[in-house]
Amino acid sequence: MITRFCLICIFLSGTCSIKAQSFLQKADSLLTAGQYLEAGVAYERVLFTETSPALRFAAASGKTQSLKLRGRYTQAIDFLNTQIQQTSTDSLLFQLRQEQILCAYLAGQFENAISLTDRIAYLHPDLSLSPVTQAVRILSLNELQRWPEAAAYFKQLAHGAGQDTTLITVYNQLPKLKSVKKAQWLSTFIPGGGQFYAGRPGEALLSILVQSAGLYFGVVSFMHHYYLSAWGVGAALFGSFHAGGVRRAEVLVNQYNAKKVNAFNEKLKAQTLQLAGQQKE
Amino acid sequence: MSLPVRLRFVLLCMLSIAGSSIWAQTRPDFTQEWRFAQYLSDKDAFDEAAYVLGNIKPDGLTPAQLDSLLFFRGWIAYSTKSLDEASRQLLQVSPTSAFYLKSQYFGAYCLAFQGQRQQAADILQKAPATDSSLHELKALQLGGIALLQRQYEQYDRQRQAFSYGSYAMANEEKRMDDYRKQLQSARRRSPVVAGLYSALVPGLGKVYAGKTKQGIASFLPVLTLGLLTYEGLRKDGPLSARFIGFGSLFTVFYVGNIWGSVLSVNIKRSEFNRVYDNKILFDMHIPIRNLLN
Repeated sequence: MITRFCLICIFLSGTCSIKAQSFLQKADSLLTAGQYLEAGVAYERVLFTETSPALRFAAASGKTQSLKLRGRYTQAIDFLNTQIQQTSTDSLLFQLRQEQILCAYLAGQFENAISLTDRIAYLHPDLSLSPVTQAVRILSLNELQRWPEAAAYFKQLAHGAGQDTTLITVYNQLPKLKSVKKAQWLSTFIPGGGQFYAGRPGEALLSILVQSAGLYFGVVSFMHHYYLSAWGVGAALFGSFHAGGVRRAEVLVNQYNAKKVNAFNEKLKAQTLQLAGQQKE
Repeated sequence: MSLPVRLRFVLLCMLSIAGSSIWAQTRPDFTQEWRFAQYLSDKDAFDEAAYVLGNIKPDGLTPAQLDSLLFFRGWIAYSTKSLDEASRQLLQVSPTSAFYLKSQYFGAYCLAFQGQRQQAADILQKAPATDSSLHELKALQLGGIALLQRQYEQYDRQRQAFSYGSYAMANEEKRMDDYRKQLQSARRRSPVVAGLYSALVPGLGKVYAGKTKQGIASFLPVLTLGLLTYEGLRKDGPLSARFIGFGSLFTVFYVGNIWGSVLSVNIKRSEFNRVYDNKILFDMHIPIRNLLN
């Protein structure tokens, strides 16, 4: 009697497991075939029917992958939140949390990525972060221009990859950013000064020319007793181009700074990912 | 070596269960698929829920199942703000379905939102109202549509059913009355008068239309060009390039300002209508969700 009961249990659980595994295989093949929506649905089907932590974890990972491939990073963060609440195995939970950090970075939520990384260290003190997660923390700090903190973590990553940290100099030459306020002041008192400061001599010259033209017209008109023309055309043109020049200087400095920061961060990104790759190996 | 007959029978039964369950994967069961779509919808995975429902073939479904399918498809479309699809699906639900009531009210609302107001009103007229709350809700919806159509007498007929005491719609009923007063008391401005005002004093027509800042902003360049033209005429005479140049610019700005004032009356009117239409639609929506969701 007991033997029969055991056999029934084994067979029924085996049946369900076969079914879930077949859904999982189907989902994996859909993902490989580039049918991300369909793959996401198939992974959800496993999560809907299956209770085994290992299969659920595989499905959750696959679903996250499908969402990432569809560019739905924010949705992936929310999805992982629900999965984290339903997962009890510490090691699996840790992996899901790491995946969530990556999704937060991909979604452009850099503050969130850093906050999640800080939290994971507190929640799983015995487990060490994967090289990818360490890299994501560094990249997020870089994006927020928190370079001194990023430099410390970069050295940790390099140390993990077996490199001599004393030779790391990449964070020694931080990009020199220009001051928006300075550009505005320069353009206010010296026409074209702000544009020149922002590294656009051509625009600076153009600004000087149009402002001078307005001023010249105003002065000449005034001297010839065309007072209304001096005011209505000369002064109006000079005033408009002057105010526009101040605003343009601000825009140009912001563009310059963004370009510098991007170039620096891109260089760091390449090196960080290379280190993460080395540590993985 | 050979197994006992009973054990062999049990094993055979188990194998057949395993086989049938694997075979069943290729032929999805409606209830299971419905529950799965519901599970996805609860997780806000609407596109995936829509995909699952879209894969259910209507052939072979019972009328009740078909109604459930139409309702759920409509509901998912409504949740993703695809209101055209939502109204199309919801309004196909048959009167025998348990979802009929909800489908009619939400379907009609979707139509009203898309500007198909008369069609929405026709559907609501026929929609069931089984108790006093639903009767009041129906009156509120029809009243809202009447206000959207600016049919104030029709609205007054519907508001007879307002109790102003229902938790689900008392505030909305009061606000609808306010909208009705504000809409009817709104001054209708004439584009011709606005044009004449701007001909008299540049920018005044825009002030009259209710766009004061634009009026001032358009007055200044016309005034400046007028003064420059006057200076050209006084100093250099009517044949001078200065007078002709500034005079032409002044004419263009002056005439453009008159035309702009004429248009601004219509623009201001459509802005006003849009603001009130949105308010009315918002206050129609809240009670349906309170009572039927």
